Order: sequence, then C-alpha cells, then structure tokens
Amino acid sequence: MRSASKAPDGTTGTSGTTFDRVLLGGKVLLLLAGLALVLAFPGLAPDAFILSVGVTIASYAALAVGWNFVGGFTGYISLGHAAYSGLGGYATALLIIDGGLNPWLALGVGALGVAVVAVPIGVASLRVRGASFVIVSIAMVLILLLVSQSWADVTGGSSGLRVPRPFSDDVLRPEQHERFFYLHVALVAVALLVWWAIDRSRFGIGLKAIREDEDKAQSLGVPTFKYKLVVFVISAFFTALAGGMYALWFGYLDPIFQFSILIGSYMVLMSLLGGIRSLFGPVVGAVIVGYSLEYFKNQYGDSQFHLVALGLMLGLVVLFMPDGVLPAIGQLVNRFRPTATSIREESAADLLARTTKTEPRQAEEVSR
Amino acid sequence: MSGSLLLQSLILGILLGGLYALLAAGLTLYFGVMRVVMIAHSAFLILAAYLAWYFNRETGIDPLLSLLVTVPLFFVAGVAMQRLLLSRLRPATLTMMSVLLTFAIALTIEGLLGYVFTGTQRRIQLDYSGSSFEVAGANIAVVKLIAFGLAALSLLGLYLLMKKTRFGQALRATIQHPEAARLLGISTDRIAGYGFGIGLATAAVGGTALALDSTIYPSLHWHWIGPLMAIIVIGGLGSIPGAAIAAMLLGVTQSLLQVPMGTTWAQTVFYIALFATLMVRPQGFFGGRLAQRF
Repeated sequence: MRSASKAPDGTTGTSGTTFDRVLLGGKVLLLLAGLALVLAFPGLAPDAFILSVGVTIASYAALAVGWNFVGGFTGYISLGHAAYSGLGGYATALLIIDGGLNPWLALGVGALGVAVVAVPIGVASLRVRGASFVIVSIAMVLILLLVSQSWADVTGGSSGLRVPRPFSDDVLRPEQHERFFYLHVALVAVALLVWWAIDRSRFGIGLKAIREDEDKAQSLGVPTFKYKLVVFVISAFFTALAGGMYALWFGYLDPIFQFSILIGSYMVLMSLLGGIRSLFGPVVGAVIVGYSLEYFKNQYGDSQFHLVALGLMLGLVVLFMPDGVLPAIGQLVNRFRPTATSIREESAADLLARTTKTEPRQAEEVSR
Repeated sequence: MSGSLLLQSLILGILLGGLYALLAAGLTLYFGVMRVVMIAHSAFLILAAYLAWYFNRETGIDPLLSLLVTVPLFFVAGVAMQRLLLSRLRPATLTMMSVLLTFAIALTIEGLLGYVFTGTQRRIQLDYSGSSFEVAGANIAVVKLIAFGLAALSLLGLYLLMKKTRFGQALRATIQHPEAARLLGISTDRIAGYGFGIGLATAAVGGTALALDSTIYPSLHWHWIGPLMAIIVIGGLGSIPGAAIAAMLLGVTQSLLQVPMGTTWAQTVFYIALFATLMVRPQGFFGGRLAQRF
C-alpha cells in the first residue's frame, strides 16, 4: 500500500505550517457548509419526489458507513452486507407486527438481534481471507433470499410484507419524508462518530494493521480474530439499523429487493468510490452513486440498462480509482504543499546524530 | 421413496454434477493461473446459452453447432479480458479487486442481456426436446444426456490438454509456481492469458448444454454462481480434481434431496456444506498449499 507509510489522516508530521492551518480551516469550513446544506435540504427540495430521493441517498449513506466498519478498517470486502440490512428490516417489521413492540424499540432490538446473529456468521466466515470471504458473504445473501422466499408464513414470501408506519396517518407524505430524512442523517452521524472513535483508538490501529498485513499483525501480538469479529459485529449492527430505518420509511419489504446482491454491491461501490480509508468517503460515495442510480432509474425506467451503468461505474472505479475520490483530492492538495520538496530539511549530519543517539537507548530497552 | 424414483434422482444428480464439474473446472483454472475469483463465469454461461438460443431461433439449425462460433469467441474474450483488464490490477490487492471487477462485468452482461433480449424467459424448442428413454424404471431425458456428454467430453479434453501436451505442462507449471516457471523460460503472462481463455471456453460449452434443457433469463446467473463458488471452496481453491469431486457429490446430494424437500430447500445443501467446510477445514478438502491463504 502506498499510503501505508503515512499517518492515517494523510498528514506527514509537518503540522504547524501555515499551509496546514489553512488546510484545516478549509476542511472545517467545507464540513460546516456540507452539514448546513444537508440540514437545509428538506426546505430546499422543490417537491416530494426530490425529497424522497434525498431520503434514499441518506439511507445509502447509512448502509455504506455501516459497511465501511469492516471494509475500511480490515480490508475484508463483503459483497453480502445486504444480509444484515435485510435481516434488520425484517426483524424490525416482525417485532412490530408479531411482537407488538413500539417501532423505535423494535428497530433497536432488531438491530441488536442481528448483531447476535452476526457472531456465528463472523466466526465461520472470518476464518478465511480474501476471495473465500467474499464467496461466503455472497452465499449468506443467497441463503437468506432462499429462506425468506420459502418461509412464507413468517416473511410473507414473494408477496412481501407491509410494515406499519411509525407516525400516525395524519402526518402527510412530504412530512414523513422530512422526518425520515433527519432520522437517517442522525443515524449516519452516530455511525460516523463511532467510526471516528475507533479510527483513533488502539483497537483501530490493530484493525488497520490487519488490513495492511494480517500475518505480521498477528505475529506482533494483535489478537486478529477477536478484533475482526468485534468490528464485524459492529458493522452488522449499524447496517441492520440502516436496513430497519429504511423498512420503517418505505413501509414494504420484498425478499428480492432486501436480500439482493445488488444492495451489497452498492455499498461496496459507494465506499470504494469515496475512499474506504477516509471517514467521509462512504458518505461522498453514497451521494455520487445514489444520485446516479436514481438518475439512471429515472432515465431508463424499467429496462435493465441501470445494471449496465452500475457495472461500468464499478469497473472504472476498480481499474482507475481503487483508492477513492477523497484520497485523490488529498493527493492533489498535497501537491501545493510548500514544504513538499525532495530536499530534506535536516542535514545528513543532523540525521546521523539523531539516529546514533537513539539507537543505544533502544538496544538497552530491548535487553532489559 | 421408491427404488425407481431413487435411481432416477441419482442419475439426474450425476448428469447435473457433470455440468457443475465442467463449470467449476473453469473457475478453478482462473484461480490457478491468476489467483482470480471470476464472479462473471456464470454470467458468461448465460450469455452462451442466449447465443445458442438466438442462433437456433435465427437459423433453425441445431444449437449444438453454435459451439463452433461461441467456443473460439469466448476463448478470445477470455484472453482479452486477462490481458487488458485483470493484468492492470495491483498485485497486492489483486484477489479482492478481481472479485469486484468480474462482478462489474457480470452486472454489465446481465444488464445488456436484459436490454437486448428483454427479461422474457426463453427456451429452445427442438424435435428431440421431449424425448426420453427408460433405464430400469428411471426416465432419462435425451437432452440431459447430451448436456452431460458435452460436459464429460470437454472435461476429458481439458484433462488430456493439461496432462499430455507441452502447453498443459507450461500451464501447470504456471499454476504451481509462477516465478520458477518464468525462470525456466515459460512466458507466464501469455500462458495465464490462454488459461483464462480456456476457462471462459468451458463457460461457452456449459452454456450451450444448459440452453438445451432449461429455461433461461438474464438474472439466472445468480442461481449458478452461488453453488459454483461453494463447490470450488469445498473442493479447495485451485484444485481441479477437488472441484470435480465436490461438484459430483453436491450435484447428486442436491438431486436426491429435491424429492423430499423441494427444489428451493434442496439448493441450501451447497451453502450448508460451504459453512460446514469452513468450520472443519477452511482450506477445502482437496486444496493444497494454494488454498491456504485465500
């Protein structure tokens, strides 16, 4: 990995220069502007359709951020995260319909239930790496699709399941969209906060070590399997919350759309396009991909052409931009960094003095 | 379950297993030469089935003759895919990214099939479509037997190619140890390209065999990729005999379970076997050194 030698946030230790302060200010401004735009969106949307597109994109963002707990930290690419969003949706719906729970309580309990279910799945699938892991993740979705279609008594089978609305009927549709938009945004914010906290923790460093080289991480004493399992369960939990929230908003579940490999591939595409190593990568990716998906579906209607568009987009990202948009922008900005020259600031003599001074001390520590 | 019904399921299972074995062999070949998991394999399978159906509809000639066109075409497509697309990926993340790239190709093929031929279900009508014969009380359809014959012949051809020719020797050397093969003067890049082409050619044969006796539609490939992927993991990634044995066993099991459980639940046998394998032996049952890390 090229970026492995750098610190995770891309800074190379030259903090304190004017350039860095300007950069930080720019980032904060950009973040605030983005936040303001997101919060003002329901007021700016001209009609209910645009508003519903906004909710869909927010839902994609929640799914992608949930996916990025596993994908971003450990580098295990799961194409089957639709399993957890679908389970979250069905768990929420069934807890409301059959369990008589309050919708919001059902959402939380359902997601916790999915997290519990994710433990044995994680134990089985995290035993293998790379390609086998992807195969297992796809298999998970296909199994759940088979089960949910065949087990019609519980899931409603192919005819689908109607989810009761959490808000009373006198709340009109645009109002519903607006409330769910803010709920989805809040979910994304919480998930991002957790991601950020893990990113800065010892746990996060261990996970990133697994991503860069799992065998080396293990030999350095990182409890790789435990770490992978914990982050896998966290990821399943947030993905299930996003799936449940979507079910409450959309009000209807169909196995073909819930347990679809397409949904899982959307999550991968969004995160990769935005950049799986960056905090906001999945969100940026969700906005780009979500908007394009809605555009393609609107333009080409019922024809299968949106699949071609999705396929081409994914192919181009994998071939030409596997690190994502945000890191690419970061590299572009770094070009303008005034200190980024090939000439070292310190002289060779300084360097020699520093290394000879520290080395004996290190040797001492090792011998002790 | 009566005796003749059991025999019938067993024979149908073997016939189905043959097709699975051929397709899984193709998947194993890709993995062997390039450590690539080719999700688009079954999409090409359905593409070949559509081409056979289209050929039959337009010309009225037996769809088996479409093989003369599709096999070379798919071979060239496979070589091109390896040389132009997959070899561009970074070696460090090749396995993961190749999954995504071939997944993207699968989506594109599915979308184009739906766009060109619409989502309508298609089926080839032949004058021998309905004919069948009886063996000890079991009813065997002629088309299924032809499909199995095609698969068995191709597998035999693949075996002879791998074991008896100089090219096969070079291919096996590339699979076993690419660096050593390069030192011996084998052009591993070119061999890998040809290996990919042969893998895709198996999809052309399999697709034509599939088109003979089943109804096809663009999203059918998802029903194939799951079982095939399960087969190669259970057999051990990279082992062709392992894939063939796992394919036979699972094909027969699926067919036997179809009678008491119905077709949908019988399909879960692949996934149950997959998870059982992961718990007991994550590298698969016949996989050697290669399968350990993937």
